Amino acid sequence: MTDNATVAVRTQDKQQDQGDQQAPSKLRSAGRQFGVVWSNTKARIGLCILGTFVLIALFAPLLAPYGGSQNGFARNADASWAHWMGTTAAGEDVLSQLIYGARVSVLVGAVAGLLSTLVAVAIGLSWGYIRGWIAEVIGFIVNLFLVIPGLPLMIVIAAYLQNGGIAVIIAVIVVTGWAWGARVLRSQTQSLRSRDFVTAAQFSGDGATRIVFREILPNMTSLIVGSFFGAATSAILAEAGLEFLGLGDSSIVSWGTILYWAQNSNALLTGQWILLFAPGLCIALLAMSLTLINFGVDAVSNPRLREGARRKRKEVTA
Amino acid sequence: MSGATSDGLEARGGTATRLPSDGTQAEVLLDVRDLSVVYESAGQTAVQAVDHVSFQLRKGEFVGLVGESGSGKSTLGYALTRLQKPPARTNGGNIVFGGADIRDLDDEALRQQRQGGFAMVLQSGMNALNPVRTIRNHFIDVFKAHGHVPRERWDARMRELIGKVKLPETMLARYPGELSGGMRQRVSIALALSLEPQLMVFDEPTTALDVLVQHAVMDTIIELQRSEGFTAILISHDLGIVLEATERVLVMHEGRIVEDGRSLEVLRDPQDEYTKMLLSHYADPRAEVVSLPGFPDRTQRSVSRQETTSSFATVGSRERSAARNPIVVDHLVKTYPAPRRGEQPVQAVRDVSFTLEPGQSLALVGQSGSGKSTIAKMLTGVEQPTSGTVRFGDTDVAKLGRRGLKDLRSEVQMVFQDPYAALNPLHTVEYILSRPIANYTGLRGRDARRRMLEILETVGLTPVEQFAQKLPHQLSGGQRQRVVIARALASDPQVIIADEPVSMLDVTLRAGVLALLEDLREQWGVSLLYITHDLLSARLITDDIMVLHDGAVVERGRTAEVLQHPQDDYTVALLDAVPNPRRTLLA
Repeated sequence: MTDNATVAVRTQDKQQDQGDQQAPSKLRSAGRQFGVVWSNTKARIGLCILGTFVLIALFAPLLAPYGGSQNGFARNADASWAHWMGTTAAGEDVLSQLIYGARVSVLVGAVAGLLSTLVAVAIGLSWGYIRGWIAEVIGFIVNLFLVIPGLPLMIVIAAYLQNGGIAVIIAVIVVTGWAWGARVLRSQTQSLRSRDFVTAAQFSGDGATRIVFREILPNMTSLIVGSFFGAATSAILAEAGLEFLGLGDSSIVSWGTILYWAQNSNALLTGQWILLFAPGLCIALLAMSLTLINFGVDAVSNPRLREGARRKRKEVTA
Repeated sequence: MSGATSDGLEARGGTATRLPSDGTQAEVLLDVRDLSVVYESAGQTAVQAVDHVSFQLRKGEFVGLVGESGSGKSTLGYALTRLQKPPARTNGGNIVFGGADIRDLDDEALRQQRQGGFAMVLQSGMNALNPVRTIRNHFIDVFKAHGHVPRERWDARMRELIGKVKLPETMLARYPGELSGGMRQRVSIALALSLEPQLMVFDEPTTALDVLVQHAVMDTIIELQRSEGFTAILISHDLGIVLEATERVLVMHEGRIVEDGRSLEVLRDPQDEYTKMLLSHYADPRAEVVSLPGFPDRTQRSVSRQETTSSFATVGSRERSAARNPIVVDHLVKTYPAPRRGEQPVQAVRDVSFTLEPGQSLALVGQSGSGKSTIAKMLTGVEQPTSGTVRFGDTDVAKLGRRGLKDLRSEVQMVFQDPYAALNPLHTVEYILSRPIANYTGLRGRDARRRMLEILETVGLTPVEQFAQKLPHQLSGGQRQRVVIARALASDPQVIIADEPVSMLDVTLRAGVLALLEDLREQWGVSLLYITHDLLSARLITDDIMVLHDGAVVERGRTAEVLQHPQDDYTVALLDAVPNPRRTLLA
């Protein structure tokens, strides 16, 4: 290295590197992402609500005053100290039912949301990466699922598989709910596949599978997480809807079945509005919490949405 | 809409005083005192982007603000026009414009000020036009928002403005999508002008444009400044452009102004070390002898650079012998289908033939759209030629299947233009380099790792263990490009195709990357196809050159000869586009 100027150039090059930052561990970077979500007020509210429901679901036997399907109390009783929300027409404690019902909603939301996201990722990514007639075929199938109205399809499938329990409900939701996520992930895949680093990976000799899952997938984590929360939200709503219509297993205790039985026993006419109101509110709150969390997840992928970076109204055009 | 920010503290008189060239005192328009701007984002250490900067602008002055990326020049420009957004925050000092501190203005006062006060033209200004509204509507929006032009004069004023930026009046009826980048940038300058600003801030107004267009737009800006007499600040990373255009230059480095002087004096006798260093990176590709820091002139070199760069001790570690196979391109044609119905098909490459001999370094130059990148794609099998053949040794590249392409790419590798896009932000350097090693060399485990570290050392990223663990965002642009080059070397290729490898880098980092490419060619014996629009770098690292225009070769020969005695007008135009302050100012 005799050439002084070259040395100068190279040392200058090195100075730009700031200190000894080592690559952060996966755990730390995940923690930082969570910090971004948490710093968003809406997401924080959502996480609190979701956390409460998850805790309620986990510790239902400890929290509930009675068993979920324990009956034999006075029928159609109004709220009292023994039964804070009264009892149902079958003589069950409403509050206990509500607490146990959280288990089903949280479970269905998590499992159905996860499964339909997995399907969406698998199909969306390969659809976005592949070119040619196979992509057309996949596109046709996805579009088919997109144009079929969701609820009627669900009802038809659920009616076919009558009384299969939660597993069937989850299956029905997954079958009808993956298409939208696949579509979103596909378009992101298409935009990422034209990036230089994907071409570079091809030049490095990597195969298609590896490129899709090691190069492209990690770059859309926040989109996938967002699509999971979206899918979970619609899963919770769909589950409650199917139960309410009596298409699920009406013997289990869930928010949907509470509504179903309340409707059957004309709870509104007997003045027991709380039978409809309480589970309805719970469903709405749980769905809302997931939507709120998604605001924070958006901020992970788009720093401009982060709070504190609140913009003043100014025209920044030219 | 308007790139224009302006400020109506004083009604603008029709006659702005021009700074007399002898420098007598004219009225001070802008007075910046001890300005500091800091970037504060939650959870990160604050960065002082502008650090106690003070300067004054007199009416009618044209001042250049130069610095490399990260020097704080744009941050300063945004602060001056009150366009800065969080996390940037002014944490000290005053900006006095026409007698009042603009930091005290509220939003509405600021909006009104955007007429007759200060305006800004951005690098991406050409993309800020609304695609569904005609150019005429853009002007009307500005006129309506400020009401400074009576309705019956709208048309006349529009035509006057569009004429000032050298566009025909028919452009008013067009949509932004129908205009080229240079035209759109001219429109955004005209929109800024429509507010009759006293101060115009141009933030890299030509950087996003094509080389030849850059020059024309710059000339228009210079003429406008002379005829309209507004005060102007030209922010640029390119000292060459600024010295050519402006009367006075401020050089920024790490948030501070390190040099402030008349252009000619800065060029003749720079005071600051940093300015001297910047200036040393300019040269005229037409000269008899061209040398840059780290680059003795090719023609004068009796011995290769081997002796001067003993730092590359590991370069000798090449396992195979030097490149053996030539790339033979024969009557290559690429035609893309017409973009819209009724238009002509695009002839990207027309009948190009050449041979890249083993160990040769060949430059392929031309402006964007000349077909040079398309040729690179066909050489590597990314695109199929419409007709003609590309042969590497005995193989016909166009006929290769997936297996064959993989074999080809172990021998022919690419270095990409944008080091920021070519590295996956989520992978460490080690992972990025380990992929080609695993795929092409068959080395595993400890052997693979040793090879990876060797390559890192070859490209000068030491200490290697530390760099192996880094993620791309922890590296500077120059370091990233070294990683990109390292990845191309990992498969031990015979040919490297470098597509504008330094165009995204700061001037001072370019020499280092170019020196690396040069060393690799001389000592590894790889053939190099160097694609660029920058004739200076082509002169430095290549022996032969081909000039492409509209997909056809217009001139070819030895690099030094072609650049010293260009035959074709297009080559001359490209040569003129190389910024070279010494030529213009000292001639």
